Order: sequence, then structure tokens, then C-alpha cells
Amino acid sequence: MNVGTAHSEVNPNTRVMNSRGMWLSYILGIGLLHVILLSIPFASVPVVWTLTNLIHNLCMYLLLHTVKGTPFETPDQGKARLLTHWEQMDYGVQFTASRKFLTITPIVLVHICSAITRPVLVFEEESSPKRSSRGIRDIWGGTRTRRNVAKERQDGCVCFGFAGSSMSFMTAALPGTAAR
Amino acid sequence: VVRPRRRDLEGRQPCGGRWRGRALTSHHDSQYNRPFLESFEETPMLVAVLTYMGYGILTIFGYLRDFLRHWKIERCHIAREKEEQRDFVPLYQDFENFYTRNLYMRIRDNWNRPICSVPGAKVDLMERTSRDYNWTFEYTGRVVLDVINLGSYNYLGFAENTGPCADSAAEITMKYGVGVASTRQEIGNLDRHEELEKLVAKFLGVESAMVFGMGFATNSMNIPALTGKGCLILSDELNHASLVLGARLSGSTIRVFKHNNMQSLEKLLRDAIVHGQPRTHRPWKKILIVVEGIYSMEGSIVRLPEVIDLKKRYRAYLYLDEAHSIGALGSRGRGVVDYFGLDPCDVDVLMGTFTKSFGAAGGYIAGKWELIEYLRSHSHSAVYATSMSPPVVEQIITSMKCIMGEDGTTIGCDRVRKLAENTVYFRRRLREMGFIIYGNEDSPVVPMMLYMPAKIGAFGREMLKRNIGVVVVGFPATPIIESRARFCISAAHTKEMLDRALSVISEVGDLLQLKYSRRRIQPSLSLPCDDIVFEDIDD
Repeated sequence: MNVGTAHSEVNPNTRVMNSRGMWLSYILGIGLLHVILLSIPFASVPVVWTLTNLIHNLCMYLLLHTVKGTPFETPDQGKARLLTHWEQMDYGVQFTASRKFLTITPIVLVHICSAITRPVLVFEEESSPKRSSRGIRDIWGGTRTRRNVAKERQDGCVCFGFAGSSMSFMTAALPGTAAR
Repeated sequence: VVRPRRRDLEGRQPCGGRWRGRALTSHHDSQYNRPFLESFEETPMLVAVLTYMGYGILTIFGYLRDFLRHWKIERCHIAREKEEQRDFVPLYQDFENFYTRNLYMRIRDNWNRPICSVPGAKVDLMERTSRDYNWTFEYTGRVVLDVINLGSYNYLGFAENTGPCADSAAEITMKYGVGVASTRQEIGNLDRHEELEKLVAKFLGVESAMVFGMGFATNSMNIPALTGKGCLILSDELNHASLVLGARLSGSTIRVFKHNNMQSLEKLLRDAIVHGQPRTHRPWKKILIVVEGIYSMEGSIVRLPEVIDLKKRYRAYLYLDEAHSIGALGSRGRGVVDYFGLDPCDVDVLMGTFTKSFGAAGGYIAGKWELIEYLRSHSHSAVYATSMSPPVVEQIITSMKCIMGEDGTTIGCDRVRKLAENTVYFRRRLREMGFIIYGNEDSPVVPMMLYMPAKIGAFGREMLKRNIGVVVVGFPATPIIESRARFCISAAHTKEMLDRALSVISEVGDLLQLKYSRRRIQPSLSLPCDDIVFEDIDD
């Protein structure tokens, strides 16, 4: 099994993310991770989503931005040895379809995560002023008084999740400075 | 023969049986004198997802095993540097070896199998076992006899140790010795070389030819002699490593066009001519289009009529590497030029190897007399490499005369016809069974898709258990999901052998669930050994 004997593709790693079914497999992989985390008995749904987000960001950071080089020897005398997979993708061409997809996925994931963890605020039409202490009704049915809202903010999960995904977004958006 | 320029006929209907150059993007089918049927069925989505899952699981286990090896829980078989050299700069990067030690080693018994007979239609293998999961092998001492050989590039069946070719080679060894021990330019130019070159030129229908001792070196040493700085090489995506190496050594600018895609090639040609060289925008000194006759990993045949049309329109040169197609295609076995019924003078540089269809070794370059005379003094191989050894020369001369029919028998003609029949039959039966086969209907190289990494090893081993030897290929030699088993049909395969092979492949295909194709073909009612009629095109 030799690289580059039967074709002129010097580094096959560059084409992996463009292969057929790779994007679907990636989404399914995130889904699988989520389902595995959902099976933890004591974790609530917002915690599980946050964990999915965090673990996904961590894995993508390690695989795309930390591990350098190729798992096989390439015939280009090691030009890719110091490049991470993100830098190797498409030979360093920026803003290709795969790069855009991989940039958008953590953003979408963090939006889903924050929508589930901190629900959308719904304002009720108040017919009488006496019911102002009722509080804000959230889309999951329960009412949120000021005390509940404060408790949820202490949860802090969203803050971690947002920080994690923004970190991955920034590293994902950085153009490969080491390449060329 | 000088062909008159046909500018005035562009756009009009062709006259006579031979095709003429005309507008490229229309009238594709009328340029070809036979139907051009190629198919590369797309990977089913479920199979692709499962393949990625397979590679993911293998990667996770690879990391686990590396961890165990690092902490000495598992015994480490990999070559390491000595204790004294621990503080030196390491020779190899650990990660670069990841694929080899964690994936390749596990199924390594499918490759490099030692054989102990001539690799004809049947071959004998030495049986070997491994007790430490393919890190080391031991020979049991038994020989697996009569394994049907679907892996050798033995297209016309000349891999034999008896018969006229072997006898004449033995005779010549007695007369000239085994080796030449010199280069062509010094004292290594035998009269047999001159005769072989005249014969090759006659075989191909060109003015002159030159032979070299090694097929790989023919490409890598001669392309630098033909092009240099300021030239442009347009090479196909799937060109062989020898062509890529030759192109890189030459120092020319290399641009790659999509595999067999004439629109991509035309776009590159137009851009190149319009914009010129990269910074200075000066015109290119020459433009060389490098294609192969049959691509051995895909089984596809180059669209030669369209390439020649493009080359004539844009005044480029064409280098055709017929490593797999010489002897294997065409009604007279003269290669892809004969297959399409074209004029060999249209191709500027015809290159080929003697390894596949002639049962020998080495390569040739053929073309105009001036080109070959130039190469005789400027080719790296002619100046520095040893010339071909006499028994190999004699094997080629005898086999080529056999194919041409000059030895008085019809053996060559029969073999060419048998190869075509075998190819069509084998491909049709595999397609009917439901496997995904890549490539052209007439190409004797048949890649069958396996996709998943575990099936690569499983297929090779199951076939060997049932006494059939196949070649399997995986990532990174192929794209990541497209691992395949590659069958090479030979004229030496009898119909019984092919039937046995096909039934075994079907059995293993059912066992491993390899029948992915979603196109259902009706089993043909006609007899498998049809007469293949090759159209003779006369003006």
C-alpha cells in the first residue's frame, strides 16, 4: 500500500473531507455522541447538549488543529509533516466547501445548545395588572419567576458551551499561517 | 504519411469511415468507430458511511494499541532505534508510520506472497503462517498448487517457461551471455537491440523506436529530455508515479486535469495559451499532454480521438503511455491507437512497456526518426543506464513476432482474440452478479469495489482459501472509500478457469455482501463466447 504510485495525488489527506458521504457521517457521528450521552441517567437534556457541544469541540480541535502530519509517508518529502489537518485540507486553499461546512457546524451546534439550555423568552399578554407577579412563561411550559431565572443563570453551562464553541470557531477561521 | 490540414472540413459531416477532427463538444459519438462504454457507479451512501465508521474504529483501536505498546503492556514489534541513539533526532516520525503499523500490518498477508512457479494462468504459492499477527511469517513447507492467478499482468499469456519464446531466450543466453554490463552509448549496443527497435517500430507503425532496460525508467528518464523549464505538462489526475516523477524531474510547469475529462483538458489548454507562463506571460515553449492508454487502477481507457483532436487544434504535443494497453487492446494487439482505429503518426511520443503483454521487462519510446535520434544522445537512460539484457531482448522479439504473425502461426492472433473474449465475458458476468465494476467494457483490468477496510483483508483471504489469487488495494493507494480488488484477465485463462473464478467470486461476494450495484442487468441469453467483430476501417 503505497501512496502516489498509481495516481498523482501527493497527499490523500487533502481530499478526505470532500469524499462522498463524509459530511453525512460527521453529522451522524455527532448524533451518535449525543445519543450515547443521553443514556447517562442523571444528566438532564440541557446538560447533555452542553456536553455534546463540548466534547465535539474538543475532539474536532484535537483532530483538526493539534495532530500534525499524515499517518502515512507521502512522496513529497514531508512537506505536510508540520501541518495540521485543517492546514492540509485542499492543499491550503481557503473557503472551500468543506472548510465552510466545518466552520458552520460548531456555530449551529452552539446555537442549538443555547436555545435548549436558555429557552426563548415568551411575553404574555397581561389582561390585569394583578398577574404581573406570575412571571415569564417559557416554551417548555413551566413558569420562570425571578428566583428560577437566577438559579438557571448560576448553572453556567451555557457560558462554558459558548466559550468552547467560540474558541473552536476562532481557530477554525484562522487561515493556515504555517502553510506557505 | 502527411495528413492534409482539414480546417475547411470542421463542422461538416465526416467523409469516409475514419473520423476527422471537428468541433469538440458536439458529435462525440461519431468520433468513435465503436461504442465507448465506461462506467464508474457512485458509492451507495450507506456503504460510504459504514466505511468511514470502519476507518474510525480502526483509528481508535490504533491509538489504543499504540498506547498499550508505549506502556509496555503489549509487545512492540516495530523497529526502534538503539538505546545509545535515543537522544539523536529521530529517523522517522512516529505518526507517519501509524497507518502501516496499525492497519496495513493487520492484513499484510494479502501482499508480497512468495510464488514458486512461473506466474502464468495458474501459479504455485508458498504457504505461510504468522503467529504474531503478521509481524513475522513462517513457511509451513507446503506449497499451494495451481492457484488461479487473477493478479498478474499477463494479458497475452506469454508468462511461460516452455515454448518458442523461452527456447530462443535460452539460446541467446548461450550466445551473448546474461548481461550487457554497459550503457547503450558505450559498448552496450548489441545487434539484437537494433533488430528489436526496428521490430517495435514496425509493430507500432511508426518510423523509429528505442528500447530501455526498465519501464519505470523509460518515463522518468525521458520526459526530462523532452521538456524543460518554460514548458508546460498537462497530465491526467491518475497518471502513474513514473510519469509524475519524470514530469517533476524535467522542471516544467505541471498542471493536472480531471481524469479523462476533455472539458477540463480543453479549459487548461485554453488558459495556458491565453495567459502564457505564470509571471512573465511569455508563450510556452511547448505544451505536452501526458496520458495513459489504460489506467490500471480504474480500468478506464483514454479518450484518444478527443485528445488528438484537442492536440491538433491547440498545437500541443501528445505523450501516450501504453504500459497496460500495448498488446492488450486492438484487433491486432497494437494498443489503444489500433483500438480506436487512429493513425499512430498523430501521437507524437508513443511509450510502452514490455512487462505486461510480452512477458519481458523494459520499455520503449517510439515516434518520428528525429525524435528518436535526439533521444539516443540526450536521454539519461541511454547515457547512464545499462541496456537491456539479451535474453529479455530475445523474449520480446519472439513474442512480438508471434503477435504480429511473423512466426508463421496464428498463435498471436488467437491470443489477442481470446483476451478480448475473456474480458467481455468476465466483465459481463460480474456485472450481472451485481458487483460494482469500474472502467471501460473492453479493458482487461477489472477493478471490483470492496469499499470497507475489513473487506479488503477478508476478500483476499477468502479467495486464497478457495485457491484463487487476487490483488486487493486500499487507501492510501486509492481514494479513502474506494478500496478495490483488481482482476487482470489473461488470454491464458480458459473458460473453465474463468467460470470457476466467477463462481467463487460470487460465493465470496454473498458471504461478504459485496454485491452493491443497484443497476440490474438482464442476464444475456446469447452464448458467452460470441464472435467479437472488430470493424476494419478503410478509407
